[in-house]
Amino acid sequence: MTRALVAVLALLALAALHLGLAREGPGLADVAAWLAGCVGVGDGVPAVDAFVLGDIRLPRLLVALCGGASLALAGAVMQATFRNPLASPDLVGTSAGAAFGGALTIVTGAAAWSVIATPAGSLLGALATTALVFTLARAHDRFAVTSLLLAGIALNTLVGALTSFAVTFTFDNYTASSRVLFWLMGGLDARTWEHAAITAFGLLLCGALLRPAVRDLDLLTLSDDAAHSLGLDAPRARRRLVWIACGLTAATVSNTGGIAFVGLVVPHLARLLVGPAHDRLLPASAWLGAILLVAADLGCRLAPPDANLRLGVVTAFLGAPYFLWLLARHRRGEAL
Amino acid sequence: MTDLVGSDLAVQLGARRVLAGASCALRAGELVLLAGRNGAGKSTLLRALLGAQAVAGGAVQLGGKPIGSWRGDERARQLAFVPQAIETPFEFTGRELVAMGRHPHRGRGAPLSADDRTAIAEALRDVDAEGFADRPVTTLSGGEQRRIAVARALATKAPLLLLDEPTNCLDLEHALQLVALMDRLCAQGRGCLVASHDLNLFAPAADRVVVLHEGRVAADAPPEQALAPALLRSVFGVDCGPASGGFPRAFRLPG
Repeated sequence: MTRALVAVLALLALAALHLGLAREGPGLADVAAWLAGCVGVGDGVPAVDAFVLGDIRLPRLLVALCGGASLALAGAVMQATFRNPLASPDLVGTSAGAAFGGALTIVTGAAAWSVIATPAGSLLGALATTALVFTLARAHDRFAVTSLLLAGIALNTLVGALTSFAVTFTFDNYTASSRVLFWLMGGLDARTWEHAAITAFGLLLCGALLRPAVRDLDLLTLSDDAAHSLGLDAPRARRRLVWIACGLTAATVSNTGGIAFVGLVVPHLARLLVGPAHDRLLPASAWLGAILLVAADLGCRLAPPDANLRLGVVTAFLGAPYFLWLLARHRRGEAL
Repeated sequence: MTDLVGSDLAVQLGARRVLAGASCALRAGELVLLAGRNGAGKSTLLRALLGAQAVAGGAVQLGGKPIGSWRGDERARQLAFVPQAIETPFEFTGRELVAMGRHPHRGRGAPLSADDRTAIAEALRDVDAEGFADRPVTTLSGGEQRRIAVARALATKAPLLLLDEPTNCLDLEHALQLVALMDRLCAQGRGCLVASHDLNLFAPAADRVVVLHEGRVAADAPPEQALAPALLRSVFGVDCGPASGGFPRAFRLPG
């Protein structure tokens, strides 16, 4: 209970920093005055500051919080359902499909129609690719780990190639191709309430679906036969849970672009904190994922503007050393 | 009384016919040894009896009902399974793994009840695993992992148990303890079907021995009859002595 309280307070503190620390515009004191004004205490802040805080930074913060939590949850679910600590939402083509769908909206000019055109295209790409992987993987009417993996790798490669093709196709159009590349690298700038709403809806819906299935995830880390003997229809549970993980990923990646490593690394860190049982691992992963993405985004925002640091690049910078550490641990004979 | 009856089971895996009309039954209170050479279809038969393997022919009935018509949790409260290996890549403790055996008894999201905790403690005590129950299972030896797997099946409190090579990796003392435990379980009215290559270990305690050969049942009889020298020679390709029978036997290559 105390641990949960500390965790929530830490997240709130980081959220306040995210709102108030910036190279220009309202600062921490303004955040406090604005929040107080929102509940009717004090005079609040000037309208322009209220706009910056409420309509620019707050949606960005919400996308970071919900997106980080979603990607980490998706990672934890995938690692359990694939019985593999190296599994991640990228594995079954969801992220690649999202990237392709999003890139396509930019290349075709559909992105100019509406602020949600890219998220919508990307969501469609993610769901279509995932559905295709699932269809291909259903050999012998079973939903086995190996066939899912093979289908995922094949589709990832194919869809990745299509995305590259879409980018090179627009090379003559410098603006379009650089926008695609920029989007593919992931970032939270210019996120609006529409983006925040899609990400938050994805997290709430999939979180609610995951809640009753936490023990199923524990059983899925055993063999399918062992899970079956304990009363779980493993292929069916796996299909349901992988869909949920894809929903979480699609709802996030469609609003943030590609964000590497969060889904892969965060569940490992969370396991070090609370162990592998999913009733504790899922909340811990969601919390850590939110913390990591908010902190990484804050780092991006505070970096010099001409550094052009992208969120996906920062998370990859954080993720790669962690995996080297994991490798060292593995060489000492410890489990991943 | 819950009986498990598999009749005329046929299983095709790819081009290979693994089971070709094998029948096998397990009743409460009996210890049955399932013997056969490598690749004879023992594990497949256990999986078919468990309902985890689709059959191309024949039927499996648990308590008079087709195995597929049971709800998962209800079936799991009647029929438990010890797989050949513990296969989780994550660092669950032994106790957490044994607690999974209580899954069929717990409602969704329900915490462990007092009954659950008692069952887990008893199961760990039965396999002498209390000393390492709180260590991550990935740090345990093969034999210790086997004992945790057996404890998980015991924690379900199911009256029927299917065990696939439960004494693999077990040291002599714990292998004998496991046989004694199964003897005790059978005396309490539970039924155990054990697939094993260790004929000398299980045959003396078994009520029946089912010998599987090339997907068919070559013998289903009390140990003395089922493991008669002629059958040992034709199925296993070994001779045994002394001719007077009884166990343990000294097996040797013919000639």
